[in-house]
Amino acid sequence: MKLSSRWTVHLGLTVFLVLAVVAPVFITAQAKSTEKGSSPPKADTLPGNTSNIPGALVNPEVAVPPQPKQDPCLHCHITGENKGLWTPLARWTVFGTAGLLLAFGLYRSVSTYTTRAPWKPITQRTTEWIDKRYNVSEPLTKVLGKPVPRYALRWWYCLGGITALLFAIQAATGIMLAFYYKPTPEGAYASIQFIENQVRFGSGIRAIHSWASNGMIVMCIAHMLRVFIMGAYKSPRELNWVSGVVLLVATLAFGFTGYLLPWDQRAFWATTVGTEIAGSIPIIGDLALVFLRVGWSVSDLTLSRFYGLHVIVLPISVLAMMGLHFIMIRRQGIARPL
Amino acid sequence: MSNNPSTSENDSIPFYPTHVKTEVKVSLVVLGIFLIVGIIGFLYPLGLGDPADPMNTPAHVKPEWYFLALYQLLKYVPKTAGVVAPVLLVGVILLWPFIDRKPDTSPRLRKFRAIGVAIGVIILIALTIWGEVS
Repeated sequence: MKLSSRWTVHLGLTVFLVLAVVAPVFITAQAKSTEKGSSPPKADTLPGNTSNIPGALVNPEVAVPPQPKQDPCLHCHITGENKGLWTPLARWTVFGTAGLLLAFGLYRSVSTYTTRAPWKPITQRTTEWIDKRYNVSEPLTKVLGKPVPRYALRWWYCLGGITALLFAIQAATGIMLAFYYKPTPEGAYASIQFIENQVRFGSGIRAIHSWASNGMIVMCIAHMLRVFIMGAYKSPRELNWVSGVVLLVATLAFGFTGYLLPWDQRAFWATTVGTEIAGSIPIIGDLALVFLRVGWSVSDLTLSRFYGLHVIVLPISVLAMMGLHFIMIRRQGIARPL
Repeated sequence: MSNNPSTSENDSIPFYPTHVKTEVKVSLVVLGIFLIVGIIGFLYPLGLGDPADPMNTPAHVKPEWYFLALYQLLKYVPKTAGVVAPVLLVGVILLWPFIDRKPDTSPRLRKFRAIGVAIGVIILIALTIWGEVS
């Protein structure tokens, strides 16, 4: 077999076997002392203990109740009292890398040995495998080969793309928050406290979600102003501008609906004031107020509606609008400045 | 992989790999900024205010910063006009390409628009700051 494949197999196997033997010894030894309910009780902590030696173990022949199973969440997600932050990260990285190296090396060496096929880089093998089945290289070359005019390389042409990237960041962090958030008045506040204190990196994810929402609004408006100043909304790009304004309104709606979700005083009353303002629009005001609040005052139904808007309606609308926006840009090209 | 060189007039670059590489670099910068935000947020969590109490209105109620300008405006403009005007403004912005249809004949129009935008943005920022401090 090829020299590099053999080397890869040997390296992967060695690392994996060494870790597989050594790591459980270390981890179980550490686990015994830090996981809840896994050490035998120390004598000086038991009631009615007469031994004066601190830390002395109870006679193991005395019956102790079976140890409770450890909460599975403590393995990765939730910071327990003594679980280090880096243990699962280190385990996943080391074992994962070694395992991947081993798997790749095994596959490469086996395939080259059995088929006696010439060696090709793995990237080329992958693309050829896909192309043989789905015939994508021709349309893909056409799509990827589209020329980008040099005038579109100035920094202010990046603002729209940055807005889209921030939307992606919001989607990712939002999903992670939605895994723990409870959309009821009774559960919302406590669930966010849980995210901040108990969920691994929860406070960081929440901070990113909060700041990226502000960033997205700023970038969206900056992009809109750039397009406005350069007159790129004029024919034939009118509908592109309209879809962009719809996206801006949706982004502000994202901010408005998301703001209520912590269900603290600031959120509750800012939403009350905001919906009150919507209610003072003539003719449709009452309808707007009752639609937003699901009733005449902000309640648990308001929270559910805002959560549904924030997590289902607005994301689908924004994705659809962004799709149209990008398709139109692709077909018409970036507007040429004067 | 695409091996399209730039066109003979040299006025464009191929999307892949040249422009994609630039976009990846910009994305990495933005992701890096938010990674730093995440690390700072991890060390100094945002926290929450007091739990919501429908019976108890706090002294200073303010919307989120992007609505502060509107909120401040509504304190001084009569209620109905103050609410209808922004809605109409959004409508005008939405339909602007159908209002301003003439193609740009000279760079002067771009300057006018830039000045208009600058004045509008300064007013909005001033209103927002005023809304924040009052």
